[in-house]
Amino acid sequence: MAQCVQSVQEFIQDSFVPMVAVLCSEDAEKVTRKNNLNFSELLRPFCRLTSEGHMRDPSNQLQVVKNLRISVNNVVTRPTVPSSGVPGHAHRRLLSEVVLTCQPAEGGVANVITAGDYDLNISATTPWFEAYRESFLQSMPASDHEFLNHYLACLLVVSSSEAVPVEKFLKLSQEQHRIQHSGEYTNPKWFIPNTLKYYVLLHDMSQGDEQRADSVYEDMKQRYGAQGCYLLKVNSRTAAAGADEQIPDPWSQYLHKSSLQSQVQLGPRLSVPSIYLLMYRTSEVDGHDSEEKGDLDNTHPLQLDTPSDTPGSLDALRAVAVETKPPPLATGVAAATSHGACLTLNDHDRIRLFIQEFTFRGLLPHIEKNIRQLNDQLVSRKGLSRSLFSATKKWFGGGKVPEKSIAELKNTSGLLYPPEAPELQIRKMADLCFLVQLYDLAYSCYHTAKKDFLSDQAMLYAAGALEMAAVSAFLQVGAPRPYPAHYMDTAIQTYRDVSKNMVLAERCALLSAEVLKSQAKYSDAATLLIKMTSEDSDLRSALLLEQAAHCFINMRNPMVRKFAFHMILAGHRFSKAGQKRHALRCYCQAMQVYKGKGWSLAEDHINFTIGRQSFTLRQPENAVTAFRHILTNDSQQTSTQQGAFLREYLYVYKNVTGACEVALPQLPLPCINSSATRVYFGHERRLAEGEKQAATHVSLDQEFDRDLAAMWQDLEEQVVAAAKRGVVPATFQSTQCCLNSQTDNLRFPLAVVEEPIIVEVVFRNPLKVPLVLSDLSLLWKFTLKDFNRPQEDSVGDAVPISNEKEASVPRARLKLLPHQTGQLNILGLVYNLASTSSTGDTINSTAASQTEAAEGTSVRGRQDLEIQGPRLNQTKEEKTSVSHGPDRRLDPTITPPMPLLEVFFLQFPTALLCGEIRKAYVEFCNMSRVTLCGLRVASTHPDFFTFGSSSLATPLTPLSPTSFENCSAYKTLATPPGATPGSVAAVTLVSEGDFGSGTGLRGGGIPLGEGTLKPGESTQLPMWLRGPDQEGVHEIHFLFYYESAEKGGKISHRVLRHTVFICASRSLSVRATACRSNTLPEEEEEEEEERNGSMLVFVDVENINSSEAGVREFHIAQVSSSSKQWRLHKCINPAEDKDCKLTSRERGKLCFRATRCKPLKKRSAFPFSKSGVSSLQIITSTTPCADFFFRRCQPLDSLRPPDIAGVVRKCNEVDLDIIILWKAFVVEDNKQVILEGQLHVALQTIDKEACSLTQKEEAQEMVLLKFKPELPPPMTRPSMEQLSHLIKTNLQYPESYSHPFNQKSLCMVPVTLTLSNCSLAQVDVIIDLRHKTTSPESLEVHGSFTWLGQTQFKMQLGAQEVMRVQLRACFLHAGVYNLGTPRVFAKLADQGAMCETSQQTATPALIIIINST
Amino acid sequence: MLTRLKTQVPLFSMNSYTKLREKLKLSGLSFASTHSHVIRLGRHSRHNSKMAVCIAVIAKENYPLFIRSVPIQNELKFHYTVHTSLDVVEEKISAVGKAMADQRELYLGLLYPTEDYKVYGYVTNSKVKFVIVVDSSNTSLRDNEIRSMFRKLHNSFTDVMCNPFYNPGDTIQSKAFDSIVSAMMVQAS
Repeated sequence: MAQCVQSVQEFIQDSFVPMVAVLCSEDAEKVTRKNNLNFSELLRPFCRLTSEGHMRDPSNQLQVVKNLRISVNNVVTRPTVPSSGVPGHAHRRLLSEVVLTCQPAEGGVANVITAGDYDLNISATTPWFEAYRESFLQSMPASDHEFLNHYLACLLVVSSSEAVPVEKFLKLSQEQHRIQHSGEYTNPKWFIPNTLKYYVLLHDMSQGDEQRADSVYEDMKQRYGAQGCYLLKVNSRTAAAGADEQIPDPWSQYLHKSSLQSQVQLGPRLSVPSIYLLMYRTSEVDGHDSEEKGDLDNTHPLQLDTPSDTPGSLDALRAVAVETKPPPLATGVAAATSHGACLTLNDHDRIRLFIQEFTFRGLLPHIEKNIRQLNDQLVSRKGLSRSLFSATKKWFGGGKVPEKSIAELKNTSGLLYPPEAPELQIRKMADLCFLVQLYDLAYSCYHTAKKDFLSDQAMLYAAGALEMAAVSAFLQVGAPRPYPAHYMDTAIQTYRDVSKNMVLAERCALLSAEVLKSQAKYSDAATLLIKMTSEDSDLRSALLLEQAAHCFINMRNPMVRKFAFHMILAGHRFSKAGQKRHALRCYCQAMQVYKGKGWSLAEDHINFTIGRQSFTLRQPENAVTAFRHILTNDSQQTSTQQGAFLREYLYVYKNVTGACEVALPQLPLPCINSSATRVYFGHERRLAEGEKQAATHVSLDQEFDRDLAAMWQDLEEQVVAAAKRGVVPATFQSTQCCLNSQTDNLRFPLAVVEEPIIVEVVFRNPLKVPLVLSDLSLLWKFTLKDFNRPQEDSVGDAVPISNEKEASVPRARLKLLPHQTGQLNILGLVYNLASTSSTGDTINSTAASQTEAAEGTSVRGRQDLEIQGPRLNQTKEEKTSVSHGPDRRLDPTITPPMPLLEVFFLQFPTALLCGEIRKAYVEFCNMSRVTLCGLRVASTHPDFFTFGSSSLATPLTPLSPTSFENCSAYKTLATPPGATPGSVAAVTLVSEGDFGSGTGLRGGGIPLGEGTLKPGESTQLPMWLRGPDQEGVHEIHFLFYYESAEKGGKISHRVLRHTVFICASRSLSVRATACRSNTLPEEEEEEEEERNGSMLVFVDVENINSSEAGVREFHIAQVSSSSKQWRLHKCINPAEDKDCKLTSRERGKLCFRATRCKPLKKRSAFPFSKSGVSSLQIITSTTPCADFFFRRCQPLDSLRPPDIAGVVRKCNEVDLDIIILWKAFVVEDNKQVILEGQLHVALQTIDKEACSLTQKEEAQEMVLLKFKPELPPPMTRPSMEQLSHLIKTNLQYPESYSHPFNQKSLCMVPVTLTLSNCSLAQVDVIIDLRHKTTSPESLEVHGSFTWLGQTQFKMQLGAQEVMRVQLRACFLHAGVYNLGTPRVFAKLADQGAMCETSQQTATPALIIIINST
Repeated sequence: MLTRLKTQVPLFSMNSYTKLREKLKLSGLSFASTHSHVIRLGRHSRHNSKMAVCIAVIAKENYPLFIRSVPIQNELKFHYTVHTSLDVVEEKISAVGKAMADQRELYLGLLYPTEDYKVYGYVTNSKVKFVIVVDSSNTSLRDNEIRSMFRKLHNSFTDVMCNPFYNPGDTIQSKAFDSIVSAMMVQAS
């Protein structure tokens, strides 16, 4: 129970006060009317006595009566409330009005109660409840079983202006007597038969003759005694005097209630509608009066002269006001000055004095007398024994035989005593004692009465006595006995269950609860209050539940949840009772407990109710907030429920916003996944235009791929490095066209003026019902900034470009086109939100939902886009706290115009044979108004394409692609007539630099006409493509780089990306082997250099194309070589004159001889030697053949110091590149097409097969990882195998030798052993002839020969030195001999530690010795 | 009784609000079972009242981990009932006193009777609360049976907690637990 202003004692005292009736003559009424008050109203503020009174109790002890209050009321003869237990309609109205007008003060003090983890803001006081209680108790109907609110006295008021006041007094006195005793009226009820009559002469100072009044008063004193009459002088304020006098208005706090009460008293006479009118009237009058007052203040103070006219005018106003609108809520009592306008402070004092006089001289002695009388009666009766008393009661019971109660009393179970029954006399005395605060006496009387009533089974009477006994026991000073709570319980139960009198039960409960509360028995109080709630009165139930809730929270261990639950119940009952404000307040207080604790269903319910109540109370903002909560929290409601919530929200929201378009409120739905927002800078791409194919660049449709992004950044870095002469500037930042959550958004992105910015927003619908969004647009802020450019006309505008709904991941793209440079901030999103129709077809088509949205409830609102940056995790501080970095995705800086490149590809193939050369065209187009320059390109596959050699300025092929039809990409040269094809090896020297240096390949420049592209200009360039060597689908990325011709912009360069997919299919497989030729050059006279170098090159070509339908056959058109040391000689194929044709799965072998040529001084020059197989010579040293050749082979420079391994290896190295040019005859669409291509084979080591296709490595099997200490790197020691190639040996001898063995038995043949040092170091050589031939069998069969002369030679060979050793072999028989027996050991001269290695033996050298007889 | 929050009424008139208010009756939830004149609705005939009508598991911090009620009846009402019962639970726990806290019995017994229901409570040592609401017309249920229901519930809850993939404090979404609860619940007919 909430705290009250009054203490319990005060409260109970004030609940039961002596009642005084007023009978007023018409003239007297007029006098008081001047003050806009009737007589009883006039007295009311002064009814509490400030001074102490004294009276004697029956035992003649002087008792002090403190703080007494009396209640003065007009005599109303109609019953206000039917005396049954059910309060009348009017009564209810009154109470509800009282509660309604008493609202908590706005921003009033609320105390915070902390219970557990709850902090609740609850107003400690509930003034509405106190007001209700006061009105309820005041309007208690007088009943027969108790006398507390029966009238004790009657004031007879007559005006002094009356002609014969005494006569009037007489009349009134008779009237009073008639009312009390004629039996016509059951109401009002009177306490004692001889009611105290007090005669009051009312004198109007402003009008009447004061002396006459005094004389009349003297007369009255004579007649009624000085104690029984009074002269009250009022209205002493004159018009002029009191103009500026400030008079306090004590009526204001009483009058409102009293006026209501008076209406209610009038009520039953009128029909129901008029009650309404009356109710509205008061507040209307109040409102008007205050208005009037304002007017007066403004105009002239003199107009106050006519207050006497006010009542009349008020009446007129009332009539007018009746049919106007309902009252504004809580007007309060504003009619301040209109009451008591004619009264001065002196008058106030007079009235106060009057009341005091009346009470102390008239009322208290009267009561004292009566108590004494009653006491005497009782004492006299006490002589009879209790039993006799009851016996007589039985015997002479006729008088008090229970009369059958009349129907409306419903007191069926109890007795009904006649008014003068002796039992009631005790009660009467008790009540009198109680009223004058003689609580001891009162308690004992009540106690006695209770016993009597109980023994008579007069339950209602007994309950009354019990109630009052308990109360008086509580009020006794010093509390000699504990408060008998069970009395109260019994009383309540009796009232409710037996008597069915809820009003009395309620009164009893209110008193009891208040007492319990004062004793801190909150739990009992709560139970009591909850028990009192019932279906019949919502208002009462609501108030009591609320009080119960307060009890729970005030307990020693606050029961927060019980509080909340009962608050909700109270709120519900309040709303049923039409007390919307109170209902809302209750729900709001309960909300504090449920909020954010996971009880979502309950929370939703409360929020929903709050929303509704707020809306009906015209607090739409609060309603919207409440509804928001239901929708934003992940709702567990069903979809229909959500739909209903949504519709309601939209409806309410619509009413809030109305026409206000300026500051749109935030909408809660749908959720924006703000981190998924993507921002794209630039135009939308149109990818294909006729046969032109635009560069793919970046588009919003692509998913972000971290690897790809890294690849692009790497490419960009390369190209920037190339453009900046090999150095990447420190400030380099890769260009980001599309920003998303994974890109680096720390910097302000740069956008270019007149180029759109597209924002993609991702929505999420948390509800189970579809939402329709329409009319989306972006909300942005723009700050102008001058970047050394004149400002342009208008600022950008927001254009919605798409709105997709109900998709799995609904996203919207919105475009913004900046027209000026500056700083742009994209703030949020504005859109219309609507729900779909409730018909159930949730998946509407776009069109349908749009029309639906147009007619249904659709509201406009905004949502801010706030992107949280990535969590910082660098420093320790950041690691321990949760802080996020900035994300500037949505804050682009608009920079001055930049060139915009558009690249188109023409005739760009999608499928190629491996190594196929194809020509395509690229069109570069400058779309902007700024000149473009510095165009460059980088690619992940630089060997895939070439723009041709920059040195050969004139393009070899026509620039326009139209003339290109089956025309070879290669430049050809007719073979000089006469020369046998294949026999000629033309040599051309080409510098590598001409075809773009090795480093320049990556991020190489593109040869533009003048190096720049003017605005709007476009240029076409040929482009050669070569199919990748690996079969399969290749993803090839191009990055075009360009700069503005005007330097110094914020953006240093721009890039354009392009990705192509090329499907490469197998063509030819080329394997080449080089063998050392052991034969000496045929022509001895050839240059010295060549004597040592001669090789055989075998080229195996296999058609491995698998699509037999497409490719018919391959022709090997030409084989060229490129080497610094070797050159290809003529083809030594067996069928050398034929074209080499390979159909499917065929394999051909080509043999060439290669000779060593002069080591060239110029490192970068590459000699091309050709050994064609067809009649047309292709110039391989030009574009595109050479381009691709250089792009392909990155010459591996052996930069390592010439250690032994290198030296040794060197002698086996060949370093010969072979280029095989082929033609493929392909049938495509029933047309034969000739495709051309080239393959490269790099021969590096002798006797080692090289292949055009690098063999795909077998996918390594999963190997268990073993962690072992790492082995020391193997010694760089040349292997035996390598060492055995140091020296090339060659035996020269006649093939057959005739010798007449008959004549000479020994045949001596001279043999020359040629030793040539292959390495570039000195080699020690040992030749050992002693050894036998390796194969022992041949020895057996053929016998042997012997070497003559020196059998072991030791010598040293210089670098590449050739040495001939003359040997002589001696044969004994004719026959075939193998001369290859000399063993040659070699070791590097300076490597003493190494032992000699046996050198590879040459092929068997057979000699035929013929016996020439 | 609480009727479902049905809000199908379009919101175009104040009239509809009044209608809605009628629907939103929250009556009959007062806790005084001594009311003799409150008319009981014929709810009890609707199901065979042998077991619980609502079972709830509430975290130490007093938010629901699991709450399940008989589907045809008003969920909201049970939420309120269970939530309110927490006050009584706390009262009962604090009544035991600090020293006795270790030997405290987990079963708290009847928390309070409402007009239609009896609310029973059980608190684990880790202050997780179990609340079982049974129909008060159900006289066949003895204290012992309620006790065993709680024990079963506790065992099942322990299993849930033992699941390494269960994040303590999350709402319980376990099929095993679900089925245990379902077995204890009144089958809606």
